[in-house]
Amino acid sequence: MIDLIPVSLRVNGVRYDIDIRPWRTLLEVLRESLGMTGTKRSCGEGQCGTCTVLIDGKAVNSCLYLAVEAQGKEIATIEGPPAGDPALQQIQRSFVSKGAVQCGFCTPGMVVATKALLADNPAPSEDEIREALVGHLCRCTGYVQIVEAIQDAARGMQDAASQMAPKGSD
Amino acid sequence: MTYLKRLPKFEYVSPRSLDEVCGLIAGTSDDEVMLLAGGTDAILQMRRRERVPRRVIGLKGVAELEFVRERADGSLAIGAMTALHTLLSAPAVSQRYDLLRETTAQIGGPELRNVATIGGNIAGALPCADLPPALMTLGARIRLSSQRGDRWLPLDEFFPEFGRTVAEDDELVAEISLPRPASNSGGTYLKFHDRHSMDMTVVGVSAFVVLDDDGRTFRDLKLAYANGAPTVFRARRAETVLRGHALTDEGLEAVAETACAESSPRTSWRANGEYRLELIRALTKRAIRLAWGKASSRKGTKP
Repeated sequence: MIDLIPVSLRVNGVRYDIDIRPWRTLLEVLRESLGMTGTKRSCGEGQCGTCTVLIDGKAVNSCLYLAVEAQGKEIATIEGPPAGDPALQQIQRSFVSKGAVQCGFCTPGMVVATKALLADNPAPSEDEIREALVGHLCRCTGYVQIVEAIQDAARGMQDAASQMAPKGSD
Repeated sequence: MTYLKRLPKFEYVSPRSLDEVCGLIAGTSDDEVMLLAGGTDAILQMRRRERVPRRVIGLKGVAELEFVRERADGSLAIGAMTALHTLLSAPAVSQRYDLLRETTAQIGGPELRNVATIGGNIAGALPCADLPPALMTLGARIRLSSQRGDRWLPLDEFFPEFGRTVAEDDELVAEISLPRPASNSGGTYLKFHDRHSMDMTVVGVSAFVVLDDDGRTFRDLKLAYANGAPTVFRARRAETVLRGHALTDEGLEAVAETACAESSPRTSWRANGEYRLELIRALTKRAIRLAWGKASSRKGTKP
């Protein structure tokens, strides 16, 4: 019998102390132990992107990552922090308003990947958006609306940032 | 239904130093112990039950294996646990090792590159791995570490047969070293695959060209292939065909012909062997032309 390993995971800014088996993936622990079912499981091979979460700000396939190896790192999921995350909310609004959601199964992965993309590159070109989403499959929308939603979210976040800037600064 | 399977049960350890890793693998066999680098392939192998280790040694906490450093002799040293994403953002790589940058950028998507490592791409010993062909044509050497000490060997001697490396069970790939490319050189990696950026490579060709001082003839040409044979390999006879000659259509045909003769691609559901040979023929010519173009445009620039 292999012992349970005590791990401390920080997910969306909240600390969870749990005991897990070492062979469980981060995806399994998020969904089954922490009840965060927003992160989806589909191909299990790193091809589809539905299980994408951020680890220390970088998009990662949580189906290919051991939960024990996420200890000490900052994990961000589609659920977002309890107090809300303006970036996630803006991206979600844009996905809805641009019709980028049909069945919705790929959406959490797309949204989380978009958060990482826009944090690195606040005004990506269409090519850069498509390159960033190459590891995400959507079987409904054909991607056009998704690209538009990401461009819309980028504009929305830039507008919000310029309103936040103190007057007189440039 | 691979995707529904959970991972087999294993014990997990997370060493913090290379010494500790060497101690943990000393006296063990590859069947019972698995080194887990990025894990993007190793986890799949476990899910498919191709490997069922008793113990997994996670390397993500070994900070000393994560570096990209230019050495005093002008060479580039890369730690085995360096993520592909880190390679792409390293100034030394984009300034001097365009072939490495170009190849790395063609692997997977961001989610994969954020986790997958250069050492894992090499030590996995897969014939379809994209980095080994590019690294071989750049003249890479690798450092194997064990409790018995370190040894260096050229990467092109590392894969004796399908899925195997010459590393002993108590050794791991710790570092990759690349000599500084000549100023009048250029390389390119072309790969054929079904889906842009994400799918497995059907055939990959890396060509690295060094021009003579006058810029009119090949001083050197190196060619290496992914999925051209049961292992990544260099087409050594094809490399000699154009040496000392100018770039001509006939010369390219002769190189491609020789490269095909040196290849032995397999037939799988992804592509049959004849089709892969056609790809080797076409991509070899195209890659050499592109590499020649890059080397010509860089001629005379300071390294």
